[in-house]
Amino acid sequence: MQWVVATAAFFASAVEFVEAFTIVLVVGVTVNWRSALLGALAAAATLALLVATLGVALVQWVPIDALRLVIGILLLLFGLKWLKNAILRYSGLKARHDEEAIYEQNRAELRARGAIDASSSRFDLFGFLLSYKSVLLEGLEVAFIVITFGVSAATSTVSRSSGIASAALGALLAGLLVILVGAFSRVPLSKVPENTLKFIVGIMLTTFGTFWTGEGFGVEWPLSDAFLLILVAIYLGASFSLVVWLKRVKKQQRDMAIQNQPAPTPAPTKEVLP
Amino acid sequence: MKIIKAVYNFIVGDMVILVGVLLTVVVLALINNVSALAPLKDFSGPFLVLGVLSSLVATLSREAFPFYR
Repeated sequence: MQWVVATAAFFASAVEFVEAFTIVLVVGVTVNWRSALLGALAAAATLALLVATLGVALVQWVPIDALRLVIGILLLLFGLKWLKNAILRYSGLKARHDEEAIYEQNRAELRARGAIDASSSRFDLFGFLLSYKSVLLEGLEVAFIVITFGVSAATSTVSRSSGIASAALGALLAGLLVILVGAFSRVPLSKVPENTLKFIVGIMLTTFGTFWTGEGFGVEWPLSDAFLLILVAIYLGASFSLVVWLKRVKKQQRDMAIQNQPAPTPAPTKEVLP
Repeated sequence: MKIIKAVYNFIVGDMVILVGVLLTVVVLALINNVSALAPLKDFSGPFLVLGVLSSLVATLSREAFPFYR
């Protein structure tokens, strides 16, 4: 069991599952639970198939050094995207993900589609497809992380399939946790600190991406695997500094906008005749 | 074309990050394969970290100062 890989997959999957859960919940409440759950299960089966086939193919056919380089670069791109969005959200330059707003918006769209009898358990193709699509799209990122982390985390002592199994276990636990919490609360999971999770995952992906890309180019990191912690510290420090800088920039822009506003014209005074 | 765009959006979705990371990778490949640049090989690691951080700063600057887009 590789705990670092499982933890990274757990956090990344939790974020994506929370987003997918919101849509499944909307379909369940507005259309019916049968269509919503069937759609989610079908998507989960598609994703499992994808991880199994792609994962096994990568494990068996591609040499580890080439794989680490390619996957390292992909993880860097993926991680920087997550990190950028998280930093923009922390600094206030981008709106935070609002699960409640997404829930209400989707619910209104489904209601506008026509009268639906939510108490009916009749299979609804639209509800099934909406649930399938949302779980598949959100889950694709999870599958990507599970495969890349799992395959690249292999060391001389740990096999690549063990890496994929660890990552898949992390993702599975996150999925189960989200489903359990969601099933009990039956409301969008708006209290989950999505941005913090995305920030943590962004840091982890960028750190591993840098480490494996470096190894792919033959870089011998000082302290070996322990250098991962130093990379985490570097990226954390840089990210916090960037958040502070962007907050200051936003404040300056707001102050300038207020200063540039035209002064309110005084109301015309009536001439008072004696 | 649609498929390429979908893959691009799925993996990165940001041209500044893509160009920054690819430039870093190209320079690292040159350092590793051109014998004249071999003395720089010891600096590959710091250069990679610097390249990643520069890409992040560049893309965030682009978002913070949309006027210059």
